Formats: sequence, C-alpha cells, structure tokens
Amino acid sequence: MPSVWIPLLIRLAAVAAGGLVAGALFGSVAGALTAAAILLLMLLSHTAHLARLQRWLKAPEQREIPDAWGAWGNVFVDLYRMLRREHKARARIEADLEVFSQAAEASPDGLVFLDNEDHIVWCNRVAEQQLGLRGERDVGLLVTNLIRLPRFAEFIANAREGESLQYRPPDRKGRVFSIEAIRFGRDRKLLVSFDVTQIEKAETVRRDFVANVSHELRTPLTVISGFIEHMVEDPAPDPAESKHQLVMMDEQARRMLHLVDDLLTLSRLEDETQLPREEEFDVRDLIFDISAEGRRLSGGRHSITCEVVPALLKGSREELRSAFSNLATNAVRYTPEGGRILLRWQMREGKGVFSVEDSGIGIPEEHIPRLTERFYRVDRGRSRESGGTGLGLSIVKHILLRHQASLEIASVPGVGSTFSAVFPTWRVTPPQG
Amino acid sequence: MPHSEHLSKQYDSDLEDIRSRVLQMGGLVEAQILAAIECFGSGNYDLMAQVTDTDRRVNSYEIEIDDACAHVIAKRQPAAGDLRLIMAVSKIVTDLERTGDEAEKIARMAKNIYDRGRLQIPRSADVRHAGNLAVAMLRRVLDAMARLDAAEAERIIDEDAAIDDEFRGIVRQLVTFVMEDPRTISTVLDIVWIAKAIERIGDHAKNIAEQVIYIVHGTDVRHTVKEGHGEPDGGPQ
Repeated sequence: MPSVWIPLLIRLAAVAAGGLVAGALFGSVAGALTAAAILLLMLLSHTAHLARLQRWLKAPEQREIPDAWGAWGNVFVDLYRMLRREHKARARIEADLEVFSQAAEASPDGLVFLDNEDHIVWCNRVAEQQLGLRGERDVGLLVTNLIRLPRFAEFIANAREGESLQYRPPDRKGRVFSIEAIRFGRDRKLLVSFDVTQIEKAETVRRDFVANVSHELRTPLTVISGFIEHMVEDPAPDPAESKHQLVMMDEQARRMLHLVDDLLTLSRLEDETQLPREEEFDVRDLIFDISAEGRRLSGGRHSITCEVVPALLKGSREELRSAFSNLATNAVRYTPEGGRILLRWQMREGKGVFSVEDSGIGIPEEHIPRLTERFYRVDRGRSRESGGTGLGLSIVKHILLRHQASLEIASVPGVGSTFSAVFPTWRVTPPQG
Repeated sequence: MPHSEHLSKQYDSDLEDIRSRVLQMGGLVEAQILAAIECFGSGNYDLMAQVTDTDRRVNSYEIEIDDACAHVIAKRQPAAGDLRLIMAVSKIVTDLERTGDEAEKIARMAKNIYDRGRLQIPRSADVRHAGNLAVAMLRRVLDAMARLDAAEAERIIDEDAAIDDEFRGIVRQLVTFVMEDPRTISTVLDIVWIAKAIERIGDHAKNIAEQVIYIVHGTDVRHTVKEGHGEPDGGPQ
C-alpha cells in the first residue's frame, strides 16, 4: 500500500508546491493552471501505462515486459515474477505428465483411456497395434465404433471387475488378446490388453494331448475288453476262433505297449536335466543300418537308396538312431508301392544334414507347421491303419533339439516330401582328406 | 461429445447413437460372414445354425435403426451434414442387411455341400481367400465410416475390382473341373453360388464406401466413371 500511496502523496505535494510557487510568481490563475497542467500530464502518463499493460496482457508470452516508472514499474515487475513462477510450475507439471505418458507408452500391455461415454482419450502404441487403433486420429471416437466385436459393446458397458474378453482380431489370424476394462476416477475406464496367443496355444496343446492320449489308449482297450467279455460269456469256444481272438488281443496289447513306450521316451527326452551322451560315431554305418531296417519294413515295395558322405557325428548314437529310423519308417509308410526313398548325408555350409527324400503322397502346406505336435495327423484314418502312434515326429523333434539340430520339412502334395535334420558344425567331423 | 454443434445435447447424442448402432450392426455382419466362410471350410453345423440366428439380430437392427432415423427426421428436421448422415445411414443399413443375407446364403450352400457328403471341395482355398478379401473390405469400410475417412473409402471402392477378378477366376477354374468330372456338377453349382455371394458382399461394401464419401463430402460418387476403369459401375442392381 504505502509503495503506491506515499509516492502519490509526495507527487501531489510537489504539484501543490509547484502551483504555489507559480501562483506566487505569476498570480493565482497561472498557479492553478500550472497545477492542472502537471496533473493532466500525470493522468496522461498513467493512461499510457494502462494502455501498455492492456496491450501486454493480450499476449504476455510473446512481448517483453514494458518499461515503466514508479508504482507502475513495481506492478510490472510483480506481474513478470508471477508469470515466471507460473511458467516454471507449468513446465514442471508438463515434465511430470510427459514422464507419466512415457511410462504408459513403455508398458508392454496395451492401454486405452476412455471418458465417461467411452470415447477414446488416449492410447499407447501397443494398444494401437493390438486393437487396430490409430492413436491421435482416433481420439474422441467411440471405442465401440472401432472394435465392433458383437460382445465387446456389452462387455465394456458392464466393465465388471475381474472379467476379461478374448479378442481375436479378424485381420490377424491366430492372434489372441485378452482385454480387461477397469473403472477409475469419476466414471472413466481404462482398457488393458495383452497378448495371450502363446498361452492360448499351450493350453490347447495340453488339452488336446490329454484327450488324444485317452483316445489312443481307449481304442485297443475296447477291442481287448470286447474279446474278454465274449470269452466270459462263452468259455468253450471253437479253438481256431479263440486263437484268432488271442492274436488280435496280442496285437492290440502290443500297440498299447508301443504307445506307452513312446510316451515314456518323450517324457524322458523332455527331462532337461539329463543331457544326451556325447560319443563320436560313424554316420555311414548308422545310415546303412537304417536303410537295411527300412528295406525289411518295406518288403521290396520301394526302392531305397543311400547317398552318404563319410563323416563322424557327435551325440547319442542310440537317440539319433531312433530319430533317423523314425524318419525313414515314416517315408516307407507314406510312400505308395513302387516309390523311391533316398537316405542322404551331406555337408551344407559346414553343417551336417541327414535327409530322407521320398516320392510319396506329400503333405499339404497348412499341415507342415503342426506335424511335430503330438498325435497330430494329416489324415486320421490312414496313419492309424499304417501302425503309427502319432508320436514319432514329436520324438524326432525332441531328440534333434537335444542335439541343437533342427528339423526342416519341405513337401509338395502328390510329388513327395523331404525331411532334413540339420546339425551344427561343431557336432560334425567332416571326411578326412 | 467430441463435436458438439447443436444447442440440444440430446440431438447430438441421438445422431451419435444412430452412427454407433450402424457400426455395431456392421460388426455383427462382419462376424456373420467370417462364421459363414468358416462353415464352408470346416462343415461345422453348429456354426451354420449360428449364422442363421445372427441374421435375425441383423434384421432387428435394420428395423431399429430405420425407426431411429425416421424419428430424428420428424423431431429435428436435420439439415446439411446431419441430413446427409441420416440419408446415408438408411442406405448403408439396407446394404448391411443384404450382406447378412449373403452370409446366410453362404452357410446354407455350405450345408448343402456337406450334406451331400463331399470331403474334397474343389477350389475351396480360393473361395475362402476371396471371402476373406470381402470381409477385410467390409471391415475397412466400417473403419472408414467410424473415422469419417473419405480417402480410405475411395481406396476401398477401387479394390472391389480385385474381388470381381477373384470371382471370375474361380468360375473359370470350376468350369474345367466340371468338364473333367461331371459328377461334381451340383457341388460346383453350390460353390458358384457361394462365390457369387462373396462377390456381392464386395459390391455392398463398395456401396457403403460411396455413402461414406457422401457423408463426408456431400458428393454423390455412384454410377460415375473412374479414370482408367472405362466402364460405369457401382450401385445396387
């Protein structure tokens, strides 16, 4: 207060003094006129300052703070300080907000903020990818207009705690996202989405596995128990018939044994604490063994040839023998009579490659990625009648994995298939000389 | 409300409600076509029943939305952009409803094929591919409507030609198939119907795209000759 009033009083006193002096020198009219003139000048100066203040207030950011004297100077300086404080506070809030949005952006889950009517307020990049949104462009749009899954509108209207929706984007086959809607603040919602494709897949594989094992074991058991029932009812049948029945039962029992053996092999191979034995052996011997075995199984219906570059391979001979023989047996099973089968060992860019090439029925492309799944069958009827357990290729894959090798499958339906096991360089000792 | 222009908030919310119901209906039809194509691929009978069931819901959407449009016209006498929206919506809804009928047709034909006990379906992968193209087109046109994206709508109109090409290709291949083995005639005829239904879905999506352009720009692009195409096309037949 005093900073304004005291200078004013001093000035008014000066005006009065000036007026009195002028009055004493030139008469009272001149004194009054002088005082009035000085007052008028003061008023003009104040008005000019007011005008400057007004002009400056219209765009305080862009213009310099105007120069001024006296009380006006103080006002301007105070205003300027206030503005600076505000600037700093805003910068701090903006920085905080920036950190928050960076954190939300860095989240591995998709995040979408919705207002009280489900319009999109903000979303991070993960949400853009997973839910097919377009960030800035989609702000203000109803989220249900963009995600038009029939169940989604209902889901988001309820937004019950702990409830989630499985979203399979129609334009990306096979991907599954889980969406949760969380209420927060005053009737706002947060959508959180995360990728559950892998979890979903593992769950399906596990469910299928249990169902398949039960089914595969049940089939032979049904046959056996049927015959037993028959024998209980008719204890003295004709010996020829009972022989036939026993042979059938034996066959089915063997099939079950075979299946259980394969399952045990698989579970042993899956045990990662037990590493395969590391021994060096001659690949040529092994492949000749397997081709002999293949010829026995084929019984002369196929022409089986070998093409082998001599080499030593490091790994468990027993396991690899089982893997190679599985591949060869498959080729014999799925190649029609008169077909050709070629067992080959070759070096490819320092890597050792064992491959089985057949002129068989081939495999349609869509089945190839799933072939090594347990019990996966391209044609259900066919493979069981040819005597497979449906676990062969799973076993092959596991054995190769244990040897850091990979299984490559190439096939053209009607032309033939090639299964190749590719071994890393360090497992192979190339032919000497 | 993102773009509140009217004094009456209720009016804005009526219009937005209509738009969002059309998009919901679109989502339903989208799911219906996908299910129908899946039926054709897998012969899943439950899914076929579901497609027919969805059609009932699609139809009731059509009636509801038409009713809502009539209400807005009577109560608010919409002008300019709002009027265009209402007019376009009532056409889009018709196209969507017919698209739903096409989906139902696909499911019905698929049932015919599987009832006949055919395991090998000629050109099945090509038909499904064309079907997926058509669904993608519908999905994009609905996105364009939600985003009022006229440029995208124009691109979609151009893409209809690709589905027409697919259709012609499938028919050509089916003809050679029938010539090789005349016993497949009835199955092949059903497949032609399915392919035709897919081609129609593409046409409907194109019509909707034209309406989206009308909503945004107010220009009527139906029955216009596009440069480089040489033939007038579009419009319901």
